[in-house]
Amino acid sequence: MTTERPVLISVRQVTKTYKKNGREFHALRDCSFEVMKNEFLVIVGPTGCGKSTLLNLIAGLDFPSAGTILLNGEPVSGPGADRGVIFQEYALLPWRSVLKNVELGFEFRKSPMSRNEKEAEAMKYLDMVGLGYAVKKHPGELSGGMKRRASLAMILAIKPVILLMDGAFNALDSKTKMTMHQEITRIWETEKNTIVFVTSDLDEAVKLADRIVVLNREGSIEAVLRNELPRPRLGSASRDLDFHHRFIAFRETVMNVIKKDAGLRTCAIS
Amino acid sequence: MALVADRSFYVLGVILFMIVWQIAASLRLFGADFSEAFSPLAAILALIEMIKNGELIHHALPSLRRVLLGLSLAVVVALPIGVLVGYFKRVEQLTYVVFQFMRMISPLAWMPIAIIIFGVGDVSVVFLLWLVAIWPLILNTSHGAGRVSPLWVNMAKTMGAMDMGILRKVVIPAAVPDMLTGLRLAVGVSWIILVPAEMLGVPDGLGYFILDTRDRFRYDQLMATIMAIGMIGYLLDSANRWLIHKFSWKN
Repeated sequence: MTTERPVLISVRQVTKTYKKNGREFHALRDCSFEVMKNEFLVIVGPTGCGKSTLLNLIAGLDFPSAGTILLNGEPVSGPGADRGVIFQEYALLPWRSVLKNVELGFEFRKSPMSRNEKEAEAMKYLDMVGLGYAVKKHPGELSGGMKRRASLAMILAIKPVILLMDGAFNALDSKTKMTMHQEITRIWETEKNTIVFVTSDLDEAVKLADRIVVLNREGSIEAVLRNELPRPRLGSASRDLDFHHRFIAFRETVMNVIKKDAGLRTCAIS
Repeated sequence: MALVADRSFYVLGVILFMIVWQIAASLRLFGADFSEAFSPLAAILALIEMIKNGELIHHALPSLRRVLLGLSLAVVVALPIGVLVGYFKRVEQLTYVVFQFMRMISPLAWMPIAIIIFGVGDVSVVFLLWLVAIWPLILNTSHGAGRVSPLWVNMAKTMGAMDMGILRKVVIPAAVPDMLTGLRLAVGVSWIILVPAEMLGVPDGLGYFILDTRDRFRYDQLMATIMAIGMIGYLLDSANRWLIHKFSWKN
């Protein structure tokens, strides 16, 4: 079904090199792939293989050393509100309440909004992530899961076409992680965003992805795998035996692709 | 309960200090002729007298006015400079040596120059107070603006913020705790520099009054003025600590 969607992001022969201690090393090597509109694309690979770099390039926070990234056919020239980034660490402003944090994006807009408009709009997204009860709290008073939800609401509120998520659920306990998987899937299905999601958790990748891009230790693409598992994949569906078998089989497939990549023992794949 | 015990120890410290001081005076440790006038008892009596006849207010108000004026002008100049220095690396490099060099010079060294330019009087005093207050304000503000998490800046950028928006919504609010620390230091040094600065030929103020009591041989009033300077300084610092407590965010 993904085949009929138009291309939204096009990564073309992208290479990114860094200089570290005078030595040049490749974070990414000749990577090419496309992200379709309303696709949920997951990028997996060992730690330090350039997953986050790739996300930063799409976000426009950094630029490729060679190759181009096209967004709707136009080269990415810098960050923009059409691409919301959810970083691995929490990017909440500690002096603002949860509500005021979510309102931040509105304050950068050219057309001013009234205080009531801002609050109503922010509340909509806080309710969407299930944080409507804690809007007056400050980030320092929130648990890890609540901070995640708050960051998510903050980014969703700017109505990005694309959500770029970098290890967004890494630090969460398994129960909170499961809830966040349901939330993000629900939001993606209703808001029709396009999501590029970086993780090193294979279970997570298989639960969420339409397609999985596997990066190897050299920073190039090992394979792009289509995930044929039917949705919904979370909650009661996952308890179906046939589904469960297919889930494990596909996870094996992804795992085997990664295993081909040398130096398995140092991989951070679980 | 613990709080009451904590508080009483603060008060106890003050009482013990007064007792030691009084004993030293009674033992005539400050010289046979002056020990009487230098005792805390004499100072407190003189202080009450000065409060009653309005002399204290007459001299404290001009002093406070000068300090507040110098501080306000320093804040207006120092905060924008501090933010720019902290946020733009090139501005920091341009100003680093000059600022570090300037802040090590006692403003009293500028006294003759201040008098040549501004003449004897209020303007010179306020200028010196301004000059001493700007350095802690600039350096602390720039420190605060400089350690803003790049994560916050990147997030603001991905939300479509421009430089101005990032400064207003991220960098400046993030630097507030450091600005307040700078203000506290600035108030401290201003109040210290006030006394010698007011010996510069102004007709009132606590610094002037120190010289005046000396010339009139009213050593009890001199001690009372010293007490008043310490107390007002303590109150100013307390007000600052309250500001820091009230407006500082914690991570």
